[in-house]
Amino acid sequence: MSRSLLLLLVLFLSGCAAMAKIEPGEVKLGEAMTATPDSAWNRLAIGTPKNTEVWTSDGLPLDRLVFYVGIADGEPLAPLRERSDRQIPKFRAAMPAHEIVEMYEVFASYDGSTFQRGKLAPAQFASSEGFRFEFARVRKGDELDMRGVAYAAVRGGKLYMLVFEAARTHYYGKHLARAEAVARSVRIGR
Amino acid sequence: MQRRGFLRCGAYCGLIGVAGSLVAAEGWQNPPRLQRPDPASDEGGLWAFLDREEARLKRSRFLLRDGPLNHYVSGVACRLAGDHCPDTRVYLVRSPFFNASMAPNGMMQVWTGLLLRMANEAQLAAVLGHELGHYLARHGVEQLRDAKARSAFGQFLGMAFGAAGVGAAGSLAQLALLGGSFAYSREHEREADRIGQELMLAAGYPPLEASTVWGQLFAELKAEEDWAGDAGTRSILFASHPDPEERSLAMAQNAATMGGSNADTGSEALAQQLRGHRREWLEDELRRRKSGETIALLQRLLAQSDNGELRFFLAETYRLRAAAGDSERALAAYGEAEARAGFPPELYRSRAMLQRQAGDEKAARESFQRYLSLRPDGDDVEMIRGYLREGS
Repeated sequence: MSRSLLLLLVLFLSGCAAMAKIEPGEVKLGEAMTATPDSAWNRLAIGTPKNTEVWTSDGLPLDRLVFYVGIADGEPLAPLRERSDRQIPKFRAAMPAHEIVEMYEVFASYDGSTFQRGKLAPAQFASSEGFRFEFARVRKGDELDMRGVAYAAVRGGKLYMLVFEAARTHYYGKHLARAEAVARSVRIGR
Repeated sequence: MQRRGFLRCGAYCGLIGVAGSLVAAEGWQNPPRLQRPDPASDEGGLWAFLDREEARLKRSRFLLRDGPLNHYVSGVACRLAGDHCPDTRVYLVRSPFFNASMAPNGMMQVWTGLLLRMANEAQLAAVLGHELGHYLARHGVEQLRDAKARSAFGQFLGMAFGAAGVGAAGSLAQLALLGGSFAYSREHEREADRIGQELMLAAGYPPLEASTVWGQLFAELKAEEDWAGDAGTRSILFASHPDPEERSLAMAQNAATMGGSNADTGSEALAQQLRGHRREWLEDELRRRKSGETIALLQRLLAQSDNGELRFFLAETYRLRAAAGDSERALAAYGEAEARAGFPPELYRSRAMLQRQAGDEKAARESFQRYLSLRPDGDDVEMIRGYLREGS
């Protein structure tokens, strides 16, 4: 058995080791961002791409809060599985809000899910002039109705974005206010 | 009229099919209706499994439930299937990839990315005929037995239901790919191509259109490769199917010996059915970010019918690709779209973003205002007003 397989097996068997508890209070996200949640969340501790943080309350299939921390000009939001060609959309510092949402759509629908943007409007995020958008998705894998809301701002030519997405039934309503509170608490350092 | 045509055909196309197959297709003869296999047999087990999957498919959120379109595509399938019509069920699945499939129990799936790419009814008939070919020749069952003989049953199911070549579609596995990635051998594919063309001829479609379908697909993949250096290597179809160019040539040669070249391709009949769906499917297509394929597709559709909607999507493809010179290409295409009927108001929003990036603030403001006047209740009006404040 190769070492990586063994590692995978150990991680699989240890299960919850992949999650770490986030207590209320200031939390550092990457090197440039902080959030101050007023309630507890769980943080995915392994397997997240660079510049990405993933939190959840009831488990990743049901709700998730994803932070994209300082995506630089020319970088994609995240790697796309089994695809490395030049057409993966990259963030550009000059992108208006609509184009940032269009970029996000590609990642959100990559697995075959549908994506429908809802309201898009200017909003404060991380003490910056940013924007907020809502969306709905039918997730391909289990055909679950998902709803989401995201906040984003471009500062110093880098993109900072927070996406909350949850199952439309029960979980979206259950955690929306907490997710919005986290969004309001986000600060960008340096 | 057309509908009645299908019904009539349902009654006797099968006979014509048999007559046709006596003179061509290397010994192919349309079989009598396939019977449900003994539940205790291996084939019976496969059917039971497929029936359960079909029940799930029927509930899928990704199924297109548009009555007239379903009726139309099922009608084309029936016209080809003849006597076998009552044993086949067509499901339209929303997925932007070029794919259709048929499982051994008669469940056929057609994806919207395929429908979007059909130039006429005869091309749709070519694809459906090919899938019916697999069904009538019972390739799925042969494949099952072959896999069992090689102790590769798990692999067979893995290929049939796993994500063979569909990294892009992730866990589509259980649903839309079902039956689709039965990894038929190339011999099976060639045989299905031949049977498909026989069915087309018998149903009154020009068999040469089958060759055109693959020629078109090849052109798209070539365009993608030229642009991105990453052709259809991950395309669902190419895991098992023969090279599309080779296939297109083989089918053209076959068509030349078959006759039927004067038959109507039914391009208006298909266009009428797809009209109301095309915008949504093109939006799905853009999200794939395969601009080489998309541009080739749009140019082909434009050659057939030049209108503002297609020009708008061509412009959108350039804008989203955002490579050197694409802003200029997009701006030119938005202009061409505006000069034709059928473009959506979003044209002005997209154009405004490019005009602003190009430093033409005055033109950008006018375009944003125009968009606001055409979509006063749009869910992004606050954002557009925000853009206008930024620029002032």
